[in-house]
Amino acid sequence: MDRWCRSKDRARGDVLPIATVWDLSRAWYDNRLSDEYRGRSAAKVQEIFRGFGLTSAFWALDGDPDAPQK
Amino acid sequence: MGIVSDDDAPLWKVRGFVYRRFAEDARPPTVAQVAAELGLGADDAARVFRELDRRHAFFLDPGTLNIRIANPFSAVPTDFRVHANGRSYFANCAWDALGIPAALHANATIDAACAESGEPLPLTVAGGRVTPVTSFAHFLVPFRRWYDDMVFT
Repeated sequence: MDRWCRSKDRARGDVLPIATVWDLSRAWYDNRLSDEYRGRSAAKVQEIFRGFGLTSAFWALDGDPDAPQK
Repeated sequence: MGIVSDDDAPLWKVRGFVYRRFAEDARPPTVAQVAAELGLGADDAARVFRELDRRHAFFLDPGTLNIRIANPFSAVPTDFRVHANGRSYFANCAWDALGIPAALHANATIDAACAESGEPLPLTVAGGRVTPVTSFAHFLVPFRRWYDDMVFT
């Protein structure tokens, strides 16, 4: 991974075990196909990330926690 | 995504239709198909597509009304092919490759490879679990920058 980052002249980001990515994907996408889905606020995004221990600056958002996100 | 007014109802109807069709067909509907299926005029459908793109409900190819990304689905071939429900999809990234079975509530097999070596790294989702658990995913771009360039992210 470090070789790849050097080859792209990019700083290393964050690395997550695939089981964590799966659990995060389920939390993120569980209701994505629902007609009721309306996106989520920055506050909700942060809540999801905190639930998976993603509290570093890499996963932080800028600005208003009630602003619309994804 | 904040407070939704009654005026937003057509937006979400289109959004829901787009996602259902993407899930069913493994490709997004065109704006013309959406207009025809939902009884919208061409201009109204185009306006709704642009507004949904602005709101990040999905992402259009710049300067067009073609859906490029409706996370977790990719409309273009990528390095992450996901087989689920008898269909084959393209995902935008490793997270989205797992996001497809998560969104479909289905088992899946995923064709992926190491970005550095090209070594195949297939994944399987079955019974609510992913295997092998020895794999990991590298997130290059900090989350707050993801929407600066969703294609790059």
